[in-house]
Amino acid sequence: MLKTVRIFFSKTGRAKYISHLDLTRTMSRAVRRAAIPLWYTEGFNRHPYLTFAAPLSLGYEGLRETMDLRLEEDMEPAELVARLDAVMPEGLHILSAAEAVAKPGDLAAAEYRMTLSCPADKVRDALALPELNVEKKTKKKTMKTIDIRPYFEKADVTAEGENTMVQVTLPSGSTENINPGLLPAALEALYGEKVRCDVVRLRVLQMNGTEFA
Amino acid sequence: MKKQLEDLFLQVQKPARYTGGELNSVTKDLKDVTVRFAFCFPDLYEVGMSHLGMKILYSQFNNEPDVWCERVFAPDRDMEELMRQHHVPLFGLESRDAIRDFDFVGFTLQYELSFTAILNMLDLAGIPLRVADRDESFPLVVAGGPCACNPEPLADFVDLFFLGEGEEVDLEVINLYKEHKKNGYSKKSFLRACADIEGVYVPSLYDVTYNEDGTIAAVTPLDGVKPTVRKRIIKDLDTCFYPESFVVPYTDVVFDRAQSEIFRGCIRGCRFCQAGFIYRPVREKSVDTIDKQSHDLCRSTGYEEFSLSSLSTSDYTKLEELLDRLLDWAEPEHTNISLPSLRIDGFSEELANRLNVLRRAGLTFAPEAGTQRLRDAINKNITEEEILDTVAKAFRGGWTAVKLYFMMGLPTETMEDIEGMADLGQKVVDTFYRNPDKPKGKGVTVTMSASCFVPKPFTPFQWEPQDTMEQLLEKQQHLVESVHTKKISLSWHDAKTSFLEAVLARGDRRLCRVLEVAHRRGFNLDSWSEHFDFEAWMSVFEECGLDPAFYANRRRPYEEVLPWDHLDYGVTKAFLIKENELAHQAQTTPNCRQKCSGCGAACWKEGVCVENR
Repeated sequence: MLKTVRIFFSKTGRAKYISHLDLTRTMSRAVRRAAIPLWYTEGFNRHPYLTFAAPLSLGYEGLRETMDLRLEEDMEPAELVARLDAVMPEGLHILSAAEAVAKPGDLAAAEYRMTLSCPADKVRDALALPELNVEKKTKKKTMKTIDIRPYFEKADVTAEGENTMVQVTLPSGSTENINPGLLPAALEALYGEKVRCDVVRLRVLQMNGTEFA
Repeated sequence: MKKQLEDLFLQVQKPARYTGGELNSVTKDLKDVTVRFAFCFPDLYEVGMSHLGMKILYSQFNNEPDVWCERVFAPDRDMEELMRQHHVPLFGLESRDAIRDFDFVGFTLQYELSFTAILNMLDLAGIPLRVADRDESFPLVVAGGPCACNPEPLADFVDLFFLGEGEEVDLEVINLYKEHKKNGYSKKSFLRACADIEGVYVPSLYDVTYNEDGTIAAVTPLDGVKPTVRKRIIKDLDTCFYPESFVVPYTDVVFDRAQSEIFRGCIRGCRFCQAGFIYRPVREKSVDTIDKQSHDLCRSTGYEEFSLSSLSTSDYTKLEELLDRLLDWAEPEHTNISLPSLRIDGFSEELANRLNVLRRAGLTFAPEAGTQRLRDAINKNITEEEILDTVAKAFRGGWTAVKLYFMMGLPTETMEDIEGMADLGQKVVDTFYRNPDKPKGKGVTVTMSASCFVPKPFTPFQWEPQDTMEQLLEKQQHLVESVHTKKISLSWHDAKTSFLEAVLARGDRRLCRVLEVAHRRGFNLDSWSEHFDFEAWMSVFEECGLDPAFYANRRRPYEEVLPWDHLDYGVTKAFLIKENELAHQAQTTPNCRQKCSGCGAACWKEGVCVENR
């Protein structure tokens, strides 16, 4: 039985512009450069087995992202981390590797830190409204209106000069997924002015709030 | 500017085209750098990042400790709009600094339709278009690549052109620049000194006069510069610089793989093919060198595929030995080898079987013309029998899709030749169904694609008129009517862009004004059909008082002074005239390995010219 190895990595700086599709290719080439004994799928178009449990939106940074590999032969996690990290392009770093514990489907939420170009009182006022509605694209590409206020109930809002830092845990799984970018969109709609927003995903979590591992 | 850029990146399609920072891209500390070179590819990132020449020179320049070469591509529409709106000048991907402040801005000239993109990029960079309007405070604008063999339509914009292969001459110019910088730099004296380097053409030091009929009266060298400029070649490819790593893009590009160059030049001498003449003589790399370079590249990039690059892969003298060596490591490492430009008459059954080991892509053949008479006239020395024989082998090897490339509007072509294309396609289909072992439940797809012939400088057809657009449309229509099976799908190239290509390819300096006006009207990236506006182009010619047909559709007499006559690519005019005459008699010329035809390239005493035959 082949073991699935779960790798944690960070994706910051210039690497935040690597789209999810491109990240798959980037990682698969990195694994080849590191000469990691990866298991290749059988069949006509053989490719290395490599999956991501939680895609990260283009433009967001991630401090503890996750990716699963399947190896053909055992390898010390420390060696795997060292070899892989040595061949990573700018902005991607390998943090740890271990046998996967949770199933990819167990990933249910993520913690984000957002920096909004909008004063803190305005953010607080918006989140204190009875509802905070915003248009959201559905999977079928139609638009629907959702109220994001409940999701930000426990958000930590701090003023940072003219900007505001918001730290929040949002659903991020196959059943429910709330993109933090909905908050600046809602603020823009509410106040009628452009709101810049930098997003960092701090970590990914399981349903019970424990870290995904 | 850098923070502002970050903002723009999130507003455009595929920002990874502008962010830089890809694996193996080179950044340097500015205090170690004396020369900054902006290597500009006048097309989008996904096209430019596929180009081998740029990868070679990028690595080679950066190999010099005090030279920093950065990549620059034409931004796509959305990015350009934002850049103009926010006054962000064109920048190098590595440093994100404005290229306006670099020492050199270099363009590679791969196709004529990119000329407007060059002007647009200069404009985006905040650099005046014309040589005459740029003083010492601006970077030197240089250019090289295949279209430098007739650079006259760009003569007013480019300070100097590199003719031929760049690995040596580019660095000679950069080194001379360093010297001049140390001893009080003046652009004028630097350019004058460059003009004495073999392979460097400084257009401002040559004066062109015209006859009343618009043809050239004379090209006069000024200030004592050499009357003709000879291109440069690399004598020994085994010792020549080759990159150990490529920049690996994040986003999808056209050719996203490692590439190993296996030889330069081509022995064939197909009369329509400019590359077949301007890259002479044929010089091969050894099996050892190719094996090592390929493996190094795959290791440093992690690419899952590499291709052998040349004008005609099967003419490599030790192809089977080479493939043996490469497969030794490529197979266990799950690396695919792709072999483009495989000529059908060099395609053995054994090779077909070996390639079966690897991914089976489509098979592509380029008979170019539909009848034997016309194939003889263009010196594409393939018989129909050879084509069908090879196709039959490929079908036995399991292939079910064949692409056939043709050219329309070749000199001496008649409607009979057009019908011949359809007949050949039909025979390929028939061959498939005659194969007793054909795969069950699978049909055959024959894709026939016809481009429009564009006469090019330094070919035997440099004097030939291009078919008018009406003639080409009539031929396209006739081809459609001659195909009688749904197994054949037809496609062709737009006659309008081919017409503009023909004008620019054999144009003179008066076209500089046309390009400038076209640029001012916002024309850019003309090779992308959604950007190309033919009617608008024609009105620019009208405004400039020039008739495009004068350049494209006129038969030029052998005696006429051609705009590129003062440039020397080794191949002599006398040889090209003889070849032109043979074409009109439908007579072929043997390839360089069969017999030397005395083209003139032997002047370098290298490669095939001195091989034992």
